[in-house]
Amino acid sequence: MSVSEALKSRDASLLPSRRDEAWRYTDLRAAVRTIPEPSPLGTVPAAPGPFAAIKADRALVIINGRGPEVLSLDTGQVLCVELRLVADSHATSHQSDLRIDLASGAHLTLLESHEGRGAAYLSSANLIVHLAEGASLERVVILDEPSDAVSVITADITLSPGASLKQTVLTRGASRQRFETQVTHPGGGASVRLDGVYMLADKCHTDLTTIVTHVGPGGTTDQLTKGAVRDASRAVFQGQIQVQPGADQTDARMGHHALILSDRAEIDAKPELEIFADDVSCAHGNTVGALDEDALFYICSRGVPLDQARAMLVQAFGLEVIGRIETEAVREVAQAWLAEVGAGGSDGL
Amino acid sequence: MAAVKQTIDQVEQLEAYEHGFVTDIAQDFAPKGLSEDIVRFISAKKQEPDWMLQWRLEAYARWLAMDAPDWAKVSFPKIDFQDLYYYAAPSQKAGPMSLDEVDPELLKTYAKLGIPLREQEVLAGVQGAPRYAVDAVFDSVSVVTTFKNELAEVGVIFCSFSEAVREHPDLIKRYLGTVVPTTDNYYACLNSAVFSDGSFVYVPPGVRCPMELSTYFRINAQNTGQFERTLIIADKGAYVSYLEGCTAPQRDENQLHAAVVELVVLDDAEIKYSTVQNWYPGDAEGKGGIYNFVTKRADCRGDRSKVSWTQVETGSAVTWKYPSCILRGDDSVGEFYSIAITNGHQQADTGTKMIHLGKNTRSRIISKGISAGKSSNTYRGLVSAHAKATGTRNFTQCDSLLIGKASGAHTVPYIEARNASSKFEHEATTTRLSDDQLFYVMQRGLSQEEAVQLLVNGFVREVLQELPMEFAVEAQKLVAISLEGSVG
Repeated sequence: MSVSEALKSRDASLLPSRRDEAWRYTDLRAAVRTIPEPSPLGTVPAAPGPFAAIKADRALVIINGRGPEVLSLDTGQVLCVELRLVADSHATSHQSDLRIDLASGAHLTLLESHEGRGAAYLSSANLIVHLAEGASLERVVILDEPSDAVSVITADITLSPGASLKQTVLTRGASRQRFETQVTHPGGGASVRLDGVYMLADKCHTDLTTIVTHVGPGGTTDQLTKGAVRDASRAVFQGQIQVQPGADQTDARMGHHALILSDRAEIDAKPELEIFADDVSCAHGNTVGALDEDALFYICSRGVPLDQARAMLVQAFGLEVIGRIETEAVREVAQAWLAEVGAGGSDGL
Repeated sequence: MAAVKQTIDQVEQLEAYEHGFVTDIAQDFAPKGLSEDIVRFISAKKQEPDWMLQWRLEAYARWLAMDAPDWAKVSFPKIDFQDLYYYAAPSQKAGPMSLDEVDPELLKTYAKLGIPLREQEVLAGVQGAPRYAVDAVFDSVSVVTTFKNELAEVGVIFCSFSEAVREHPDLIKRYLGTVVPTTDNYYACLNSAVFSDGSFVYVPPGVRCPMELSTYFRINAQNTGQFERTLIIADKGAYVSYLEGCTAPQRDENQLHAAVVELVVLDDAEIKYSTVQNWYPGDAEGKGGIYNFVTKRADCRGDRSKVSWTQVETGSAVTWKYPSCILRGDDSVGEFYSIAITNGHQQADTGTKMIHLGKNTRSRIISKGISAGKSSNTYRGLVSAHAKATGTRNFTQCDSLLIGKASGAHTVPYIEARNASSKFEHEATTTRLSDDQLFYVMQRGLSQEEAVQLLVNGFVREVLQELPMEFAVEAQKLVAISLEGSVG
């Protein structure tokens, strides 16, 4: 059961459904009855991507699944790459595959955007990333897709000892959207940070899934995901931390905190720990709740209208995650994104 | 139909020997395997009315169409349901002749728990031991009578399930299967078809049950077999505390236990249900041992009702259960306190479900898992709030403690929130017994084993506090015994 298989064989019955445990909150089979026709050759969009403000060393564009398939960095190479995956399609389907290899000591800042320029499409994007010893990847992803699209993005990231992965994903959701990150963590001083912010409105859905597998001793993982749901939107967070036998001295923390701003909205969370080693320290925290009435009252008492006060609190909520982005210019782009999407939804919350 | 006729004839023949050594013969006559005839046979043996038989048969028909679930993080060989006895109490012949023949390890455990000699015989299944633990515990049947009178005075009905079917059919018809429907899950469905016996409790409106329904249950527990059925109803404003199980490791010949427990709580009522489970966990290589697949659920039907589950799970080879609360009434409260200890090759996949349907409902989950040896311990839980369940509140804390390199501890919580005024908090930690703490305690003069016991008791204290007083003390000893040999 995978999206790639379903797309390749054009068989909608191969799409995962809620009967598959890993997809219980993201039922693709119910959303896609038949696999749409393959997407045509698209055109490069005239509008710049969300990271246009940052001067990247290189820009890669993949349109409707067509574009570069490999990105390699040599030993010690430092590069900032703007990667745009554009869906220029209406009610069609496509798949993109990209392989990224970082040689030892290389550093890549990947500014990745998934831009939907069409409507009602079905897209699948698969990234396979390999980090050699001491390599580091800072990946910031903005998902900007239409509310009627179905999109599945997966990344399979393998780290070597001493490597570092820092990832932040920002999303507004789609009709069905899944952003899945699988990390093979060797320990040995390697470190992983996986963050996410979602701001959903209307009937949008997003599913942030992470699976971090610690296979060797002495690894750290730090995860923080925060988000807010308005209207009839639905956010899913599934985080799994696995510690395999022998992966001692693993230190893994996971946090997911969500705000529900409407009685029609939904949050589903499944933070999971699977531990087979005894000398570890693992923890997860998960909270779901409404905005703090006291804080709202406090801001309003300073003369700020209620709507604005709510928007301020929602943005402040997401800001904690964005503050963890190290590169200042990228952080500013993320802050601007948050200010735009966090400002309000159709029910004025 | 010839086969059905044959079985009925057989049953009739058996009934004829009412005053002889019939019981034993009857047990021999119920053949292995499961069929509609067996269901009819069980029902006939229990002299059940037709509606009860129809209920069983319907469940059996549904069960045939179901598949055994396999999603839990436990592994065990496939159960051959045609290779089990569905109507036979543990055979007396198989028991040891005296305590001398009983495994000395088992006797040591009894001694540590401070169990009287006569009761040891009962627990170990020694031949000729009293059939009812009451003789050992109280040395007099009159104590039971006193209890019965005391309960009857306030109107509390407390009897075996079979008796309730005969004496209180209206209550059974009204509540049976309303919390755990026959088709709820594979094992609950099987239980519905072939349940052997169990307990029935009805507490009338406004009555506070004058005693813990615990000691009595130890009596009832004898020979209820592997498919127990318990139904407890707390009518408006009633209160009852019920304790099942026993801290002593109990000899049992049934490998599969598939019980169903249903609790019905009406307006302003409260049920406190405590379980101490210490069935045979299998030998050092993980052979043998009980499979404990139980469906336990409480339905807080009334406003301001409350259910509190407390469990200490230390036995069984495989434990697979989720005592749950459906918080239907407004302002109702659900609580779940659990200690699950696995050692050796034991596997436990346990937790709870808190389903918030009513307004301002609250729930609290405290789960402490300890895995030692080569065991695997999983907390699996669900907290959900319906869109109309405004103002709900949940707090969940799952802590796991690992002792030993080869053990596994897993946490799989599901959180589903569907309205803007719910507040859910969940936190989980997994750590090992800290070397610093061990060192500190040991340098005060305690042996390593004592130090581990002390630290573990501190770890589970929050849950032990929820047990009724008398059992809390026994359970504390049990926790220590369960972890023996896991360190050093």
